[in-house]
Amino acid sequence: MTRLEDWLTWTLSPSISAILVTLIFSLTLPILIHTYLYKRAVAKELPTFLLLGPSGAGKTSLLTLLSNGTPSPTHTSQAPQTATCQLPSTTHSSEDKYRSENDTSSRTQPSIHLLDTPGHGKLRHHAIASLTSPTALKGLLFVVDSAVLSSAAGLTETAEYLYDVLLLLQKRHTQGKTSKGPLAIPVLLVANKQDVFTSLPAGLVKSKLEEELGKVRQTRSKGLLDSGIGMDDDGEADEESNWLGEYGAKGFKFAQMREYGVDVEVVGMSTSAEGEDEGRVHECWSWIGANV
Amino acid sequence: MLDGFEILTTSGIVLWRRHYTPISSNLIDSLVRDVFIEEKQKPGGGENGAPSYKKDRYTLRWTSAKDVGLVFVAVYQSLLHLSWIESLLTAVKGLFTKAYGQELKTPHTLKVNTAQWDPTFDALVNRLDTGSTRRQSDTIDSEGPTELTPPSSSAGDDADEPPPVPAPLFRKPAIPTKRDDVVGDSTSTDATPIPTPDTSRPATPGHAASHLLTAKGGPGKASRRSRKAQTFNASAPVSSGDESSAGRNLKGGAKTAAKGKRRWDVDGMAIEGDDDGVLDYSASATPGPENAERELDVADVNTSQMGSRTGKGQFVLKDLDDEVDAILASSSKPQQQSNATDDSTGSGLLASASSRLTSLFRNVVGGKTLTKADLQLPLQQMQTHLLSKNVAPEAATRLCQAVETDLLDQKTANYTSIESTIRDSMTKALTRMLTPTSSLDLLREVTSVTSGQGALARPYVISIVGVNGVGKSTNLSKIAFFLLQNHFRVLVVAGDTFRSGAVEQLRVHVRNLSALSQREGVGKVELFEKGYGKDAATVARDAVAFATNKGTQAPGGSGQMLYDVVLIDTAGRRHNDSRLMSSLTKFGQLANPDKVFMVGEALVGTDSVAQARNFAKEFVDTKGKLRNNGVGMDGFIISKCDTVGDMVGTLVSMVHATGIPVVFLGVGQHYGDLRGLNVGWAVDKLMK
Repeated sequence: MTRLEDWLTWTLSPSISAILVTLIFSLTLPILIHTYLYKRAVAKELPTFLLLGPSGAGKTSLLTLLSNGTPSPTHTSQAPQTATCQLPSTTHSSEDKYRSENDTSSRTQPSIHLLDTPGHGKLRHHAIASLTSPTALKGLLFVVDSAVLSSAAGLTETAEYLYDVLLLLQKRHTQGKTSKGPLAIPVLLVANKQDVFTSLPAGLVKSKLEEELGKVRQTRSKGLLDSGIGMDDDGEADEESNWLGEYGAKGFKFAQMREYGVDVEVVGMSTSAEGEDEGRVHECWSWIGANV
Repeated sequence: MLDGFEILTTSGIVLWRRHYTPISSNLIDSLVRDVFIEEKQKPGGGENGAPSYKKDRYTLRWTSAKDVGLVFVAVYQSLLHLSWIESLLTAVKGLFTKAYGQELKTPHTLKVNTAQWDPTFDALVNRLDTGSTRRQSDTIDSEGPTELTPPSSSAGDDADEPPPVPAPLFRKPAIPTKRDDVVGDSTSTDATPIPTPDTSRPATPGHAASHLLTAKGGPGKASRRSRKAQTFNASAPVSSGDESSAGRNLKGGAKTAAKGKRRWDVDGMAIEGDDDGVLDYSASATPGPENAERELDVADVNTSQMGSRTGKGQFVLKDLDDEVDAILASSSKPQQQSNATDDSTGSGLLASASSRLTSLFRNVVGGKTLTKADLQLPLQQMQTHLLSKNVAPEAATRLCQAVETDLLDQKTANYTSIESTIRDSMTKALTRMLTPTSSLDLLREVTSVTSGQGALARPYVISIVGVNGVGKSTNLSKIAFFLLQNHFRVLVVAGDTFRSGAVEQLRVHVRNLSALSQREGVGKVELFEKGYGKDAATVARDAVAFATNKGTQAPGGSGQMLYDVVLIDTAGRRHNDSRLMSSLTKFGQLANPDKVFMVGEALVGTDSVAQARNFAKEFVDTKGKLRNNGVGMDGFIISKCDTVGDMVGTLVSMVHATGIPVVFLGVGQHYGDLRGLNVGWAVDKLMK
């Protein structure tokens, strides 16, 4: 007891040692708390890029190509898959926009998350859920099979999926709750399988899809009402909100999506071609780098 | 033999593959699509736990490891019957998971280094592969039933198996062809071992084969030669000096003497004399000393094989043997283990109360690993809930089983109870079942068919079928109204030539619709009818021809399509009346519709499953293949949905029965009361 009393008396006494101890204690305690809290904090989320597209387009193949450097053989996906990879050293990221070419300072390339989703009709909810959930989604790679687009059925299936995705992005933009709006998500249309003989070149893929999207939005607007029409009370009955692009325009162009912050670019490539140049993976990488 | 083996992840990346012959990747793609995603095949044990899937002359057997998300697939020709595949799959699953399981559990792994796996796999195949599909006599008894395949379309083929390895147990190399026949028969029905005559050598040759499996005369399946072989064997136990052989010789003699008198056996097949068989006494049937030698040879070869491995190979195999034995033994005794765990509950009042408290606590907090016992009661409640929503018991059972396999041995998330985990899983399963593979856009399809280039343009034909009184004519006029609003020219065909007043009913509908469309200036609608009593199929065919208008009767624009869409109404019929149902097949073939929709009412209960199945299997084309990729119909229209409120379980039952998606919902009795299906809305109503 007396020891305790003595010790307490000492701490409250104006001796130099007591003052020094108090000073050190009060200065280091916040620093310790700070380091403890920030060590336990969640690591900064990596930018995510979503891979989606109709079944058989080559999304899983592209995922393995981007993350491993060589494509692995793949089959139809049943579940989504994520991969973490780093931009190759030859790609410029957006952070390097203002760096000079001769800048020799060492810099580490940023890493990204790639999220591959199944393309089968019954499993598209994975992709839709990833689009609407609040992750750090920086871009969308919509992979299409250029060879299948020359047939009417393949073109229709691709266009319908692309229509759903673009409409979702448009609604996300127009129906944002805050005035600032959510961050815009650019879309890269990857025209895969350019090495196949019957494949269409990238420019033709773009124009065919635009034409088909115009037809799809026409029929969707005239189609039957949904059975779930009373469910959401956000004014779903508004015709304009369900119309992709410019309301009342004759044909659809990807440029019309720019109003909603959705920039669509088209790139042609092939995952199974040999050599960097023929595969043209670096175009993908440069787009990813620009949008990181 | 095995054609290929692949190990792939659920996300589609192939971790390891071995192709003995070139296999197109389309096979495994279609396996994943048809079985795992679309669930067209009933899941279930199959033979010994490795279910099989057939496509294009190949059979694929698979097994999956859910915890690491892997699927193991073995591919071989359908003609073969390899019974060691299940053990191979089990062994590979066990070993691969053990070797690479840790690597695969770390997130974001796309690739594992499988260099060491190749020799392990080769050793495993060598160990489990018995060399041929023929078995040695000592193993026949233990594995008899699994050796036999049900009569498939390839039975009756003499060249079923590769000729057996010339193991010395098979005697008489002098008559190799007959041996093959006997061998081939063992894979067809009803093989029984004929009792070996262990006494002296039999009178006629061909008895030597008697200890081998031979088939009883299956009706019509066994070929002529094999039946011939059977007759020889059947006469085996007769002692020497028998009349049958004499009789046979006589018959043979008679045959050659006369002009080839044809002899017929009981099955109506012609017996041809096989003089070679009758006269060849070259090989002996008694187990003489040389046979004993050959058996020793066999044994010798085996032991030398076991012993003569190179250093690394020997090491691998020895380990492999123990592991593989353990894996195979454990996989074949799952039931005893599960039974044993049920007895470990504590006894006494305090123990039970405290265990209940802790389980309640764990239930609230989450992080609990789910066992079968945990899931049983909540799943029972979920099944009752589904049944109360008018889902057929078959569909409810299947959904609950899917949820159970999904959740078994998983951990619940934080602060979620078991019930909410089951609800989430059930919502996902229902969404997956109700979401169609490709959604129907009727306007798109009609436009693309009617605007085909020039000669290819033809009208779009839709036909409506269903049982009595479900609302076929009403829903047909709703569809006609929808199409008219989109400026199509519609021809309504009165294909119900049986029910009194059916044609008049449609006439009234067409009159209303044409008044509506004239008022708004859209489309054109007309009725095509041929009165009562005619055959519906011919009426339909005439209607399509009329709409196509290919003939030269029209003076001006011959060949111009008169109508864009042809809607054919049919008579209601009970699904268990086979005469009426079979007339649907003829209807489908003559009318050749683009879309066949079946109307089912939302009020029907368990009968919906039988209705859907019976209707779907009637629509076969002339080659016997079900139309629309083997499902039969193109969609369901569920009518009278406004009368059931929340109990929309019929949707689920009908989709479960056939895999055909629901395309429209009828929600009222006016022309505009037609809706598309919104899966979220339907699942919401079911889970409320």
